[in-house]
Amino acid sequence: MVSVVAKTSRPRGIRPTRGYRVFQAVNGVVLTVIVVVTLIPFANIIARSFSAEGPIRAGEVSLWPKGFNLTTYGRVMTDSLFWTNYRNTVVYTVVATAIAMVMTTCYAYVLSKKHLKGRGVLVGIAVFTMFFNGGLIPNYVLVNSLGMRNTIWAIVVPNAINVFNLLVMKAFFESLPTELEEAAAVDGMNTYRTFLWIVLPLSKAVLATMVLFYAVSFWNSWFSAFLYMDRQDLFPVTVYLRNMIVGATTGSDNSSSSDFALQVGANIRAVTVVLTALPIMLIYPFIQRYFVSGVMLGSVKG
Amino acid sequence: MHQLTRRQLLAAAGGAATLVLVGCGSGDENGDQNLDGKRVGAMDDYGVGDQFKAAEALTFSIAILDNPGYPYKADWPFFQELSKRTNIKFDATVIPLSDYNQKRSVMVAAGNAPWIIPKTYHPSEEEYIAGGAVLPVSDYVHLMPHFQDKVKKWNLQPDIDAALKQADGKYYLLPGLHEDAWLDYSLAMRTDILAQLNLQVPTTWDELTTVLRAMKQAHPDVYPLSDRWSTTPEGPGANNLLAHMSDAYDTRAGWDWRAYHWDPGASKFVFPGAMDNYRQILQYLNTLVSEKLMDPESFTQQDDLAKQKFGTGKSFVISTNAQELINSYRKDLTARLPGAKVEKITRLMGPMGATKRQTRLESGVMISKKALDSKNFVAMMQFVDWLWYSDEGQTLAKWGIKDQTFTGSAEEGTLKLASDVDWAGLNPSGSKKLNVDYGYLNGVFAYGGSTKFLNSQFTEEEKKFQEAMAQRKLRPEDPAHPLTPEEREQTTLWATALKDHVNQQSLRFILGQRPLSDWNAYVSELKGKNMDQLIEVHNKAYERFKKEHG
Repeated sequence: MVSVVAKTSRPRGIRPTRGYRVFQAVNGVVLTVIVVVTLIPFANIIARSFSAEGPIRAGEVSLWPKGFNLTTYGRVMTDSLFWTNYRNTVVYTVVATAIAMVMTTCYAYVLSKKHLKGRGVLVGIAVFTMFFNGGLIPNYVLVNSLGMRNTIWAIVVPNAINVFNLLVMKAFFESLPTELEEAAAVDGMNTYRTFLWIVLPLSKAVLATMVLFYAVSFWNSWFSAFLYMDRQDLFPVTVYLRNMIVGATTGSDNSSSSDFALQVGANIRAVTVVLTALPIMLIYPFIQRYFVSGVMLGSVKG
Repeated sequence: MHQLTRRQLLAAAGGAATLVLVGCGSGDENGDQNLDGKRVGAMDDYGVGDQFKAAEALTFSIAILDNPGYPYKADWPFFQELSKRTNIKFDATVIPLSDYNQKRSVMVAAGNAPWIIPKTYHPSEEEYIAGGAVLPVSDYVHLMPHFQDKVKKWNLQPDIDAALKQADGKYYLLPGLHEDAWLDYSLAMRTDILAQLNLQVPTTWDELTTVLRAMKQAHPDVYPLSDRWSTTPEGPGANNLLAHMSDAYDTRAGWDWRAYHWDPGASKFVFPGAMDNYRQILQYLNTLVSEKLMDPESFTQQDDLAKQKFGTGKSFVISTNAQELINSYRKDLTARLPGAKVEKITRLMGPMGATKRQTRLESGVMISKKALDSKNFVAMMQFVDWLWYSDEGQTLAKWGIKDQTFTGSAEEGTLKLASDVDWAGLNPSGSKKLNVDYGYLNGVFAYGGSTKFLNSQFTEEEKKFQEAMAQRKLRPEDPAHPLTPEEREQTTLWATALKDHVNQQSLRFILGQRPLSDWNAYVSELKGKNMDQLIEVHNKAYERFKKEHG
């Protein structure tokens, strides 16, 4: 990556060597192949989600919908429970990500300070939970006796700090030049203002990355909601769709002899993937530029 | 800190043990007296045919499986009618069907389980017994007149003993009860091809060979039999076909596989994978494969592929159940091959003749031990008895209210859905769904019952199949031989290794990769994997249980 950046930034007028042109051509071909290989399954999923049951079952759908059909979308999207659950997912994701970001950033910043007494212990506490945890049932008992069952806190609080994200962030903060913070201190800023006005603005790249990591994981998560929620109107959409998939594919004792149920059974998976993946995918382009700037930041400093 | 001496510790342990023993003793000996103070809301004389109605409005906690085909609604007419008739309301924990068992496990283990836990499939209740969170319901069935009545009337006690009883002589699951065994799976066959070739529908496995040979002769380019259900666990592939054959040959294979099988001749358990009956099955299938009557991919292919072959006329025989026959095969064929006809044939017979093997018990209800502490315990047991086991309760749960959602009577064979109500295509013009809109026939409450009651839900075509199968004599269940938890753990380890080997080698035998003359070598390989030890544990458990509980 770094070598690419260095080479494209050479001054104009110097003609690229032959080797470099070959490299670029090969690079282009290889990357195109990778993109195609990654996108084909996704295109196939989208095509299936819009196809009729017959062609799907006959294995005739590849990249373009056959027998255009919206029954399954209709089935999913006319269900008021679907929208309730979708709203839950959005709320859980936003709240959980916000809380997780505050907690992780604060903890990571503290841990990045080498002069902090007991830093080793604090790191140890965090890392310990990476390798050991109470287990499913003790966690359930804990959440239950804290009275958090059937509330958003059961989803948000136990997952507020992801240790891996914490360590990445800590490493990032450690790499910031201490001179900046010293200068801020000389100018009279206290720790909190330094953190808020100096450190955080310089950390947009890592913050954006973490927001993305957290948001994606909360968006996709279903297990804690499934475990701690006892009512349908509290489930996130992931639980709803998971149940739909299993119900449609096991052909349980519902009235699945109708064409409607058969159609739903045939492409419910595809519809599900499209419906859940789409919103979170739309976030990527907006956060993308921070990734790039993050890379530049690292390469310029040296 | 004060250091405990060894003697003190011993004394403490001894004391605790005594307490535990005393606790057990009192529970066993005067279980009935213990129910004093637990009768609030219960009916004083509640017997067969009585409508249960609690003396005061009560709420029982219950686990409800949420089936996305008919998502749970707290205001279903079913719940309203139920509460009108019985004075009972539910405090429901709604669990998605996708992961019902997992949540149930966590809740039971965490001591947070609802009182009533329906939809439990044996043997999954066994994992909770050691934890003590599940009620040994056998101690309390005297509170359940309808349950006892049906068990007696249909002679189900041996079935329950054989299937559910644990080493302590109790059982922990109230099973769904069927008057007769209900079989659904069989083979689907292209009857138009049979007619073309002037063939009768086969009734035995040997006749099937003849039919397949004739089909092959007329259509040399197809494999007449290409089977499915190969990716589901237990067997080596074509698991319905193997299960089906193992019934006809009296052994265990495919879906019906388990590591022990009762040999009535020798009065002991034997390992099915080493039985001569099992070898005969392999021999039979090997013949089909080697004569190219059966698609060798039958044992490995995905269901979709097998369905495609059948639906496009590339095979003529395939495993089926009532739903697949209509939803897949017939639908695919009418779309692609006009004039093609497909039917579910009566199960083929083998050396066992016109008999069948099938359990008459279905998934059932566990009761949380916590419920026993409640003053409403007796009322709850009476309620469970009424809803799941009385004719009125079963009718309400299944078909709803007479003259509102249905007319006629199931026992007289005249039951019909109301003109505006549909279920599973029984009344296609009905605009309302019996399960989605009313909450009846919703799987949590409705199962089991008399044969006539069950027949009321079938189409005419399926009824014919059921009638033919009802002619077959039901063979008795294997005798009870509950294992202790340690034995269960040990045998599971052995059985897993054995199953893998049996599956692997069965496939090789069938496909001709290993000659059947190698059979004896194969049996000694099984011996090397603790086959004899495994069977000995089962036989010892059988002797032990016979001695202790007759």
